[in-house]
Amino acid sequence: MNERRGPWYLLTGFVIGLGLGLLYAWVLNPVEFVDTDPASLHPQFKDTYRVMIALAYQADSNLGRAYERLKLLGDADAAAELSAQAQRLLAAGGAAQEAQALALLATALEQHSRALPAEGTAAGAASGEPLAVGGSTAPPTADSIQAVQTATAAPSPTLTPMATFTPRPTSAAAAAAEGPFLLRDQQQVCDPQLPNGLLQVELAEASGRPLPGVKITITWEGGEEFFYTGLYPQISAGYADFILTPGVIYSLRAGQGSKTVSGLSAPECTGEDGSRYAGGWRLRFEQP
Amino acid sequence: MRYKRFFWFLFSILLGAVVGVLYGWAVNPIQYVDTAPPSLRSDYKADYVLMVAEVYQREQNLAQAVQRLAFLGDEPPLRLVQQAIITSQELGYSVEDVQRLAALSQALQQAAQGGGQP
Repeated sequence: MNERRGPWYLLTGFVIGLGLGLLYAWVLNPVEFVDTDPASLHPQFKDTYRVMIALAYQADSNLGRAYERLKLLGDADAAAELSAQAQRLLAAGGAAQEAQALALLATALEQHSRALPAEGTAAGAASGEPLAVGGSTAPPTADSIQAVQTATAAPSPTLTPMATFTPRPTSAAAAAAEGPFLLRDQQQVCDPQLPNGLLQVELAEASGRPLPGVKITITWEGGEEFFYTGLYPQISAGYADFILTPGVIYSLRAGQGSKTVSGLSAPECTGEDGSRYAGGWRLRFEQP
Repeated sequence: MRYKRFFWFLFSILLGAVVGVLYGWAVNPIQYVDTAPPSLRSDYKADYVLMVAEVYQREQNLAQAVQRLAFLGDEPPLRLVQQAIITSQELGYSVEDVQRLAALSQALQQAAQGGGQP
């Protein structure tokens, strides 16, 4: 009788064993990743890491190093990701300084990729292409040098900080972002293809070079808001925009110490079919 | 005969367990895609600390630096910076970078001696 049951008991045993093995490997004693890389971080932590990269770039103006660090996060398009994060940050009411730093770095990457389309584009980050910026790169990691793992090493008691170092000056880009700026051009824009009430602002240095990271203050009766150039590097590094509410009169100031542009409101435009819609403005500022 | 069957039954369980562990550990291990900063490798941690030191060098805002170092976990900020200095020396960071880390370490030490939070 027993012999007629066949070898199925072997399969039963195997399945039971397989289940026990998986229980042990996945639940009781799973593989532990203790030496992870930034690319595996939770998106929220990646955002923090990205902000830190941008702030460090703002501090040392070392684009090559910032680029190498961004590569660690594994973003397909580092510049786009920086811009998107800057916009998310501003929309969530986050720190303006961080948004500005993100925008500055996004613009710098974008400008560099335009200048050198064949090498070191932001999109090339994932492919590991080198970026020829100033010859400086991120500090070496254990990938390039076989590092000794020192996570639990005790700090050296003989380590004495050197007292001879001097702080670097603020980066030129950050200083230029302060202004002042002069209004060079103001045009009414009636284009049904654009969003209604679109206020487009472009800021540039005296040489005409677009200037990212400039804070623009816009006020209206009972309200005030800020926005920054450089969040749309695909349009221009010095570009910023804002949606005007029809019927509301605004005042705008670019950077600090600039003359305020008053009386801005969404103009009424007429389409080819006779329909009416809210148009916009295009303002161009330059440093004197 | 029954003992023989029992032996093979146990053997099949053992074989299944081995296959299961191999599959769970090697073929298809649990994927850690949303890790936390404390699990970062020491050289990545050191580079993060260096970024904090670079920003500190410009801003001279120690409280902000301490807050940023908290990203790496619950360890005391001074210890994080000291570990970064050790790693930086092992990995051959430039003198300027080691000096930046040392400056942050010094500021944290002074704050600790002065009864500050770090």
